[in-house]
Amino acid sequence: MNRTDTLPPDIELARLLQQCAAADTVAFRTLYDKTSPILFARLLRMLRRRSVAEEVLQDVFVRIWQRAAQFEAHRGRALAWMVTIARYCAIDLMRRERMTLVSDDAIAEVADEASGEPGGLEKPNNFDHCIGKLNDNTRQCLTLAFVEGRSHDEIARLTTNPLGSVKSWIRRGLLALKDCLSSEGQTT
Amino acid sequence: MKSANRELVDRLAAEYVLGTLRYRARRRFERWLLSPQVGAIVKAWEDRLAGLEPQLTPVTPSAAVWRGIENKLELRKMQRRPAMRWLGVAASLIFFVAVGVFITRPPAQPPMTAQSSLQTDPQTIYWRVEVLGDNQELNLRVQTVHDLPAGKSHELWALPEGGAPVSLGVLPHTGDHHRVLNAAQRAALANSKQIAVSLEVEGGSPTGAPTEVLFAAPLSRA
Repeated sequence: MNRTDTLPPDIELARLLQQCAAADTVAFRTLYDKTSPILFARLLRMLRRRSVAEEVLQDVFVRIWQRAAQFEAHRGRALAWMVTIARYCAIDLMRRERMTLVSDDAIAEVADEASGEPGGLEKPNNFDHCIGKLNDNTRQCLTLAFVEGRSHDEIARLTTNPLGSVKSWIRRGLLALKDCLSSEGQTT
Repeated sequence: MKSANRELVDRLAAEYVLGTLRYRARRRFERWLLSPQVGAIVKAWEDRLAGLEPQLTPVTPSAAVWRGIENKLELRKMQRRPAMRWLGVAASLIFFVAVGVFITRPPAQPPMTAQSSLQTDPQTIYWRVEVLGDNQELNLRVQTVHDLPAGKSHELWALPEGGAPVSLGVLPHTGDHHRVLNAAQRAALANSKQIAVSLEVEGGSPTGAPTEVLFAAPLSRA
């Protein structure tokens, strides 16, 4: 789907965040109504279980309310800022509880039928080109980590690769991505 | 930052954003995030990896989620609470006026226009706060480490006249820090004659209002 069909532009979300920073609870409810379905879908993608994702979604919005004053409209995009908070809340829980979420039963609870293809947020220039230059193993490891919140150990198990290889692919993949984006970015 | 440190920070920042740091390493790394340099490196990785964000069909959560958020933040209570009551508490605290010390700084920053020393007695200054330009930026300089119970944070507040306190963020415990304020913070600071420090749960106030005010201090406008 195209998110711009249903979501207000970032500038409106940024304005709502500024109102939240000034303790405007009505603006906070509006922000929740507009963004909670996206953030919930994102959490479900990582946490799989609806009950767990709903608990974390509460923490995400508590944090958004507390941190609204720290959102710097000129530095970042509002939706990306909120999605990042959601990802970090989910990762914190998964790492703290050492959650293992690989059972097929749990996956059946995932409500999204979307492709899960990249493109949910604005990409850096040349991102597709740079991610395409990575080998398949590396790309798969980065995607499992970022999109699903998998740990090194889980990725090794899921992909049946040695843990050392997974760690090394991820480390080198991140460096290669950074180098490619910075060098290609200068030529465009 | 030395180049070896920068490489290490860059590597940790990348895995922090990717999500592959273990829990303890994540917590340790988050302490570094108070440094603007580390914050900028993390932000750069967030921008880079945003390209991996998947397109998902939105899913509406149950109504219980909003009720839970309302309860956790005590939003209903907040709507009824007059902001002036809190200001009365702050006004009853003892303040110490600080002697303004102008410190030269690189020309990239706007000039200092106000400053405050956060202290509970004349001998011990905990943080020196400098306001730069038109309330746009802050320099926070840790002078003496204030006791902090485990699992707690110190948070800085603007006390705008006639309005509710506005958070200026969690206070650091080491070194010098620079912070750019957003529009709401700038407006609040412009109308403040005082700033305050509160004790909060780790990461900042859960309600958007100060939980336990430790002390307040006047802002001396240059």
